[in-house]
Amino acid sequence: MSSLPSERIEEEGAPKPNPRERFFEDVPEDELRRVFVWPNLLSIELIGGLLLLLLLGLLAVLVNAPLETLANDEKTPDPSKAPWYFLGLQELLLHMHPSLAGVIVPGVVILGLMAIPYIDRERVGTGIYFTTKKGLPIALFSLAYTAVWEVALILMDQYLPAAEGGHGLGPYLHTVLGWPEWISAIVVPSAIMLFIPALLVLLVRRRWQADRREVMIALYAFFFASFWTLTLVGTFFRGESMNLVLPWNLPGFTQ
Amino acid sequence: MAEPRPSLWERIRESSLYRSIYRTRYPDQPRWQSMVILQSLALHLHPVRVPKRATRLTYTWGLGGLSVWLFLILTFTGVFLMFYYVPDVPGAYFSIQNLATSVTFGQFMRNLHRWAAHAMVLLVFMHMTRVFLTGAYKPPREYNWMVGVGLLVLTFLLSFTGYLLPWDQLALWAITVGTNMAGSTPLVGGAIRTALLGGFSVGPATLVRWYTLHVIFLPLALIVGMSIHFWRIRKDGGISTPIYEEEEIGSHVQLAQ
Repeated sequence: MSSLPSERIEEEGAPKPNPRERFFEDVPEDELRRVFVWPNLLSIELIGGLLLLLLLGLLAVLVNAPLETLANDEKTPDPSKAPWYFLGLQELLLHMHPSLAGVIVPGVVILGLMAIPYIDRERVGTGIYFTTKKGLPIALFSLAYTAVWEVALILMDQYLPAAEGGHGLGPYLHTVLGWPEWISAIVVPSAIMLFIPALLVLLVRRRWQADRREVMIALYAFFFASFWTLTLVGTFFRGESMNLVLPWNLPGFTQ
Repeated sequence: MAEPRPSLWERIRESSLYRSIYRTRYPDQPRWQSMVILQSLALHLHPVRVPKRATRLTYTWGLGGLSVWLFLILTFTGVFLMFYYVPDVPGAYFSIQNLATSVTFGQFMRNLHRWAAHAMVLLVFMHMTRVFLTGAYKPPREYNWMVGVGLLVLTFLLSFTGYLLPWDQLALWAITVGTNMAGSTPLVGGAIRTALLGGFSVGPATLVRWYTLHVIFLPLALIVGMSIHFWRIRKDGGISTPIYEEEEIGSHVQLAQ
């Protein structure tokens, strides 16, 4: 924000630069004027609440909640899937040690989310979507970067053959190259999962001279894209024995 | 000339019963617009006035408020379901079947509960994303952001514990997959899994545990968390407004001491 003295001399006489130019949006003064909650906010909340209730009510009339046959612990359905919001984690399970996929990664993600405001402590930029003009391109780049990486890794794990009929990088390192399992299923996947965001941070720092907030935007986009990429693959592209299939080839809910 | 006779509505509003409940007149003037907020338990979660931007749909998208609304819908439909649901193996399954076939609005209430639960997971997640994108986690709101992440986790747990209750194939195997994941925790995984299941596999003890968590413990935990969350929104200066320069800090954020 603060300009160097030399710049100031050069700018003398020229039209005064707008200090808000670097921000993504310049909220007009009028928008900060305080208005009464009744009726300005309450009317919007009432309409929003009613619309949501109407939408859910319609859905409840049109689509029944699933109810399959009585639980039977001797008949394992294939595939057996967790609820949709855990399918990202279930997808991770296919690629690494279960401790890593089921506990350590989600634990680190939750702690990482909680830590965001203790790392990015700069108050300037609060209340502005993406904060700076660089925020949106950084976010879009990070989303695409993450999705491409993860789809590529998922495809590699499906099509890289390993011994004993297995497939994937971990089994390949373990069964073909004979690496111990703690390296192939824990160290290697951890290294990959750390490398992807680390390279992302490096790239946005180089390309956009990203500050701390912009690096946070890149990392949140990495988390967001990971969650949705893995969840969508787990939901729509995993069929029998959790092999990759196209959505229209998925086995129906009832076999 | 005689006074015109008051209308029925005016007479109701002048009655001592009505005036004992609502102490303000219809809020069409600033004074009553303030009073109506200050004197109502539900409305006083809000301040009397907010920045115009806070009422803009494209700033908050109403996601936090709608999440609370979903929690209320889920509580209402959930209590209805509890009237008919039996946490018993295999009775739970038959009570759900019974709900669909011989209870008035039974299927509708179950459907509404199910879809509202999915919507709540989605909306809480989107609310977090909105707060992130607007930088509304920055100091002094960092603690409330952390509380919010905790509320997201509680929302996941509430949805997941409810998933087992119909006791059908979908429920049993989803929970088997989920508890196996928790069981892979280093060192204490086995103990966690046994505690979650009340045994070594998903069975009657699991159902009772998850039912109890779903209808009592987790909703109460969520209510406590939400109370802190809403209280801190106000204490941390209300809805976030733009800060462009250091000097602005303090002029826009009036911390309630």
